[in-house]
Amino acid sequence: MKKITNRAVSVLLLAAMIICGCLVYVIRYADHGEEWAMAFSRANSGSTGAILDRNGVVLASFNASENAFSPDTATRIANYHITGDYWGRSSTGLLTRYDAALKGYSPLTGVSVAKETVLRLNVDAELNNKAYAVLNGRKGAVLICNYRTGELLCMVSSPAVDPADPDPVPGDGAYINRCLSASFVPGSVFKLITAAAAIECIPDLDRMRFACEGSVDIAGVEIICSGTHHEQSFEQTLANSCNVAFAQLAVRLGQATMTRYVRQYGFLDGHLLSGIPTAAGSFPEEFVGDPELGWAGVGQSTDLICPYSLLRFVCAVGNDGVLIEPQLVQNAEPPRMRFMDPDTAGKLRQMMNYNVTTHYDGANRFPGLSLCAKTGTGERGDGTSNAWFTGFLLDEDHPYAFVVLIEQGGGGLQAAGSAANEILQYAVNR
Amino acid sequence: MDELSWIVPTSRVVMIVLSLAVMIRCLRSMLRERYDPEVWAYLRSGKQTLPITHWENLLGRSRSADLSLDLPGVRRTHAVLRRNDKGVWKIFDVFSRGGVLVNGTVIGKDGLRVTDGDVISLASNRLRFLDTDPAKRKRLEDARSPVGRRISPALTLLELTTFQLFLLVQHAFSAGEADLPPIALSFGLLILLEWSCYNAMRVIGRSGFEVETLAFYLSSLGFSVTASAAPQEMYKLALMTTIAVLLFLCIGGWLRNLRRSVGFLIPVALAALGLLAVNILFGRELNGAKNWVSLGAFSFQPSELVKVCYVYAGAATLDKLYRRGNLFAFIAFSALCVGALALIGDFGTALIFFVTFLVISFMRSGSIATIFLAVAGAGMASFLAVSIKPHIAQRFAVWGHVWEDRYGAGYQQTRALSAAAGGGLLGKGAGSGWLKGVFAADTDMVFAMICEELGLIIALCMMLAVLTLAFFAVRSARRGRSAYYAIASCAAMSMLLCQMALNVFGSLDLLPFTGVTFPFVSRGGSSLLSCWMLMAFIKSADNRKDGSFAVRSGEHLRTEGGSK
Repeated sequence: MKKITNRAVSVLLLAAMIICGCLVYVIRYADHGEEWAMAFSRANSGSTGAILDRNGVVLASFNASENAFSPDTATRIANYHITGDYWGRSSTGLLTRYDAALKGYSPLTGVSVAKETVLRLNVDAELNNKAYAVLNGRKGAVLICNYRTGELLCMVSSPAVDPADPDPVPGDGAYINRCLSASFVPGSVFKLITAAAAIECIPDLDRMRFACEGSVDIAGVEIICSGTHHEQSFEQTLANSCNVAFAQLAVRLGQATMTRYVRQYGFLDGHLLSGIPTAAGSFPEEFVGDPELGWAGVGQSTDLICPYSLLRFVCAVGNDGVLIEPQLVQNAEPPRMRFMDPDTAGKLRQMMNYNVTTHYDGANRFPGLSLCAKTGTGERGDGTSNAWFTGFLLDEDHPYAFVVLIEQGGGGLQAAGSAANEILQYAVNR
Repeated sequence: MDELSWIVPTSRVVMIVLSLAVMIRCLRSMLRERYDPEVWAYLRSGKQTLPITHWENLLGRSRSADLSLDLPGVRRTHAVLRRNDKGVWKIFDVFSRGGVLVNGTVIGKDGLRVTDGDVISLASNRLRFLDTDPAKRKRLEDARSPVGRRISPALTLLELTTFQLFLLVQHAFSAGEADLPPIALSFGLLILLEWSCYNAMRVIGRSGFEVETLAFYLSSLGFSVTASAAPQEMYKLALMTTIAVLLFLCIGGWLRNLRRSVGFLIPVALAALGLLAVNILFGRELNGAKNWVSLGAFSFQPSELVKVCYVYAGAATLDKLYRRGNLFAFIAFSALCVGALALIGDFGTALIFFVTFLVISFMRSGSIATIFLAVAGAGMASFLAVSIKPHIAQRFAVWGHVWEDRYGAGYQQTRALSAAAGGGLLGKGAGSGWLKGVFAADTDMVFAMICEELGLIIALCMMLAVLTLAFFAVRSARRGRSAYYAIASCAAMSMLLCQMALNVFGSLDLLPFTGVTFPFVSRGGSSLLSCWMLMAFIKSADNRKDGSFAVRSGEHLRTEGGSK
């Protein structure tokens, strides 16, 4: 008997194989469960969902039988970086980010039955269409946000793709959202940060005079300016975008102070826009010496900033130093925070308005807009430059802060400034 | 109904808790409680007295002998000492060829009776055989710990009943109005059946009810599957379950008598072959396999009943096992069965038979070499089958790549995976899935259907129930009275394990899709009958004190030859 019953382990062997099989299944289930469930369960559960813009325009919708986008090609392309697609090609797209919520899957309860999920956005799809059209195939990014409420009205990254009919050979970085997922050489828009630091740290700034003879020697290295500005007030240095003055200010503030401000204003960190992570920027944090610090103070050196971080900055300046965190998806209570001293914000606002009225030919270039702004021309080091234009409207009916970036677009005012004007005119007159 | 909608989500969690509770109680009771051996007689060797704990005992020097005798001249396996139902002991000289004497008489081919006080000589070592009289047996029996003292079977069954009521409540929310009465009535019948069964056991003084509880647990999942996919079949299912339980009781009763059971081996084997012949001659083809036979309005799958016959005829008592001719007869019988099933086109069942054949032949012969030969032979045969039958080749081709052909050969597996994942851990609620609408969801893809409606945890409990039965069969085998019961119960469980593995892993794309049924749960009357009948073999090997109706109580057994 013992001999025979010892051989009963063959049954246990069979049982062991079954237990192994179960483990393999459970592991594969944990790994692919959602993908499997989505393959037919959604279609069979009757769950539906949609992404709508602020005016109810359908950007994407799905139901049991189909995954759909807007019927309008221009809308599909201009809003591609907001919606993403059903196949997860865009990492920032809401269809990818909010996949489970939109489709109603959770590992615990599986697919929810007959769930209708609608995501309402703050963006205006037609404004996006306009911005995409204005960029006209150039590589770039446009962001517009209501700085009083945090509503993100416009987010466009060019080039984009048509999710309903993807180009087999997509444009350069067409799947990258330049507004959120990339950082660029800022050039002179960075002077806003240096200026804010100077306002807070250097006493008697308003009484100081800054001489510019076209270049300045800092510790044996020549920093070249865009022009020869002679003697200027602090206000005039920003309007002139004087490299000589800002390089000297940065050196006077010192690397530690400069780094502290760049960090405090959130340029070195990634953020979350309605749950979507954004790119961090960079600034020389290790010791680099005065000449390099001078260049860093005017937005060159190893400076890189993400357009979204710059949008937060100008939103806070426009809103008296209080940042209402921008929201892509409608949210009743966006978080708010004290971003900078209200006096600093007031001073910057006044200087940025001065830029437009005295140096940017505001009345002709930006007719009817009460504008505070700063241009930027970030030298990329290959002979081309990133054209930047950022600021906000002093208009309580249209409290819009904006960032316009055109990669390799040339001069900031010429390229980005005129694009910003076209888009803002459209936004204000809608 | 709306204000009651919280019931379904809550009941999902409650059902999982109840499932786990039933599983844990059965596991503890079947695998953790004391399982004392039965003592039937003694063998005295010098000053040493060895208890004889089986009806069939191997005597020899080997450590794996039941009575291990380290005496000069004794072979590793020397003789077999056997007791029959009537308490008559016989000794067989199976190995030593003349080295066994009883009271100085050399025993012949058919063995020799031994009685209390007889002297057995093994290679000139004298051993005294001491039988037990009824009074002694009663004392020995009283010393064993009975079943169910720590873990009350009634409470376990009560938990199961609560589980079934919650299941019924979930169906009440999802079923159509016309379907509700048959569903409710059938569930009621199931509960009535299990409690009647339990009370019948109490009346005859049996308190081991775990095997039945697990079978009823699986049956209630089967009821749920049918209620979802084919509510019009509920009455039929309730009727078939009643018949199945009656057959289970009948076969269990029949197996109480070892001599009677073994005496019918050849007629049962012939019946199996007859059934297969009927199938080949009159079978009706359905989905590639010709495994249905109609009798008027009633149609059934003979191969399911052949499973029971195969287990019945495949097992053997210890003294027969060591006769070469007996093993060859078994191999020939198995080859005929597997061959006939292949001819019918039921390759899934053929595979189940083959695995059961491996388990039985390993238990009988202990020879790994035989197993390798058999596997090699079967490998070549299945290679032929794959190359001849295109639909089988296709199932192998798509195996592991089902998502690449989700509208073709991978249709069923992808639906099963998707629905199973869609249920999550808790499930969507009984009757609320979508897989039930897919063809063969309630048979071949039943695991996925349970996953979808009742959740992965209950689906795994369902597999655990079958695994627990298998562990219990192995544990019981060690205390078995006869090799016949030990082999039969292990063979029955390996059959069910293999069937479960093919069903579950086939639908989940871990194995090629074979389209066999999940024991008790898949819809189908013939399959249900065979599963319940196979349970009788598990019961017949359950030798715990007052454990099983299919085993006669130790103290009541008459010992005819007890005194001289």
